[in-house]
Amino acid sequence: MTTATDLDRPAAPPAFQEVNSARRLKNRLATILVGFAFLIALAPLVWLLITVLAKGFEHVLNVDWWQKSLAGLTSRQFGGGVYHAIIGTLFQGLICAVIAVPIAILVAIYLVEYGKRSRLAKAVTFTVDILSGVPSIVAALFIYALWVTTLGMPRSAFAVSLALVLLMIPVVVRTTEELLKIVPDELREAAYALGIPKWKTIVKIVIPTAMSGIITGITLAIARVMGETAPVLVLVGYTVFINYDPFGGNMSSLPLLMTSERLTTNEVGEARVWGAAVTLILIITVFNLLGSLISRLTSLKTK
Amino acid sequence: MIIKRPASVLGIIAAGALALSACGSDANTPAGGSSSGAAAPTNSAPVECGGKKALVAEGSSAQKGAIEAFTAAYGVKCPDYQLSYTPSGSGAGVKQFTAGIVDIGGSDSALSKDKGEVDAAAQRCQSNPAWNLPLVFGPVGIAYKLDGVTDLTLTPEVTAKIFSGAVAKWNDPAITAINSGVSLPDKAITVIYRGDESGTTDNFQKYLKAAGKGAWTKDAGKKFNGGVGQGAQGSAGVADAIGAGDGTIGYIEWSYVQDKKLSAAKIDSGSGAVALGAEGAANAIKSATLKGEGNDLVIDLDALYASNTAGAYPLVLATYEIVCSKGYDPDTAKAVKAFLTVAATDGQAALADAGYVPLPNEFQAKLLTAIAAIA
Repeated sequence: MTTATDLDRPAAPPAFQEVNSARRLKNRLATILVGFAFLIALAPLVWLLITVLAKGFEHVLNVDWWQKSLAGLTSRQFGGGVYHAIIGTLFQGLICAVIAVPIAILVAIYLVEYGKRSRLAKAVTFTVDILSGVPSIVAALFIYALWVTTLGMPRSAFAVSLALVLLMIPVVVRTTEELLKIVPDELREAAYALGIPKWKTIVKIVIPTAMSGIITGITLAIARVMGETAPVLVLVGYTVFINYDPFGGNMSSLPLLMTSERLTTNEVGEARVWGAAVTLILIITVFNLLGSLISRLTSLKTK
Repeated sequence: MIIKRPASVLGIIAAGALALSACGSDANTPAGGSSSGAAAPTNSAPVECGGKKALVAEGSSAQKGAIEAFTAAYGVKCPDYQLSYTPSGSGAGVKQFTAGIVDIGGSDSALSKDKGEVDAAAQRCQSNPAWNLPLVFGPVGIAYKLDGVTDLTLTPEVTAKIFSGAVAKWNDPAITAINSGVSLPDKAITVIYRGDESGTTDNFQKYLKAAGKGAWTKDAGKKFNGGVGQGAQGSAGVADAIGAGDGTIGYIEWSYVQDKKLSAAKIDSGSGAVALGAEGAANAIKSATLKGEGNDLVIDLDALYASNTAGAYPLVLATYEIVCSKGYDPDTAKAVKAFLTVAATDGQAALADAGYVPLPNEFQAKLLTAIAAIA
């Protein structure tokens, strides 16, 4: 009997013993607390989405909402749409991206591939860190002082884009930098071993490897700047008309439309504000989906 | 492969953007609300359209609704011509005008000499004086919420006492004496005032000082000096706070009284109670006198507020369009004249629906003379 059990017994005691009840209790307690924290974090988000959709979704179902401006309507008249604001939001966001993305990606490439611990790289990293902490109103006032007061240019959508560039560059630099860092050095070394110059290695090997992540970072940054309110309040005037010219005249955008229409206290104003909120959320969702689609299409095949 | 794919995706985005930008339109037909947009103008005048396509104006939020009506009329009279108005407050309006950023400034008070606004504006107009044109008048309502009471009359004197805390109960003898037949409850009065700096507060306090027969001992100014009650942000905030409470009272523009469906007190300036509305306010403006020189039409508010003309509701907010008498470039001058002409004529038709008072005839004539003189 005893010999049989001795034989059955494993030679060494198992690494993981039966968990005693105190530890199991602690585990369960921790699980509950973490789950609870998750729910608390989720609650405001879900609540916000439900409120916005419940109050605003019916207004965006109208075709006019997406194709017309509010021109010729007073704040007591229903109808019209927010096309002028959608155009403004897209123009400002995209112009900002066109300026900010190349600069930010080049800065990140410099930091990771060329600068590595040089004094200049440290200074750049420090500056980017400070820039990422700048509140949007400060960026807006800086551009106002520079663009409008000093250079004497008119307020315009382009000035808004410039302020958004200041907010976007640090975000994109940071994400791109992290993503370039995780590209394995073996890939670079293999390329060098084949005699490929450094710039070609970066363009053909490093960036494509990190591309999908970079694109995700860019779309997130665009989504962030599109919702910014401070720059549009300071740097461009409101209008109910469609304006395709980013360099002159007032141009509306969804956050600006919401702050302006909030002054209208009747149900027409409420409809416009909630509708614009839903529209902004939808546009940002589309951008995020587009980002993940592009990043999936551009990601490298791993066999 | 890797290079081609993002290119095709970018192509799709570009195509989508083009499709989106192709179908936008400024052409609207008003639905719901009122039919004022399509109504035939009562006071049509020949307007010379032309000049700058998109005018820019900024200022007082109290005239936002009126400017919307004017812009709609301008678009009908002069198709493809626009005016964009940013309702960011009187202070911002004056500042942006004197900085030369906007073509027209909107303000609840005329340019002030003491603050250097007159000189700054003259500098903006290439050393020509800027004119204050009182184009938008709106009565200010003394709105209240008191269960069971929908008909309340106040005199300026009692109003001044309420807003400075001397009368603190709804059944105070001062109130019951002028409201015979109304049973007023033994409830505390909660005064709601504008917590932010505001032209409405400034005008309201000026009114109490001018008409209150000495009952208002505090100063005027953009901050409320009554020393009682609760502050609320903006007219919208005041309207919300009045509607949410019981026994509350506050001062807000007529359009907010209408939008929030609040009760407003009648004002008895000595010759009978007059209800808040276009008629009473128009009677008051008719008797208004000017203290500006020539075409600079600054209203003598003290005289207006202290008047006790029968049938007049003197608690009126006069808001100005601030323009250059000369010194615009020719294109801008032409468009400014066209817009103001439309605003003073065709645009007036829709004003009553928007919570403002159409201009009396004599006043309109004065304004049109001034507008025609802009060069």
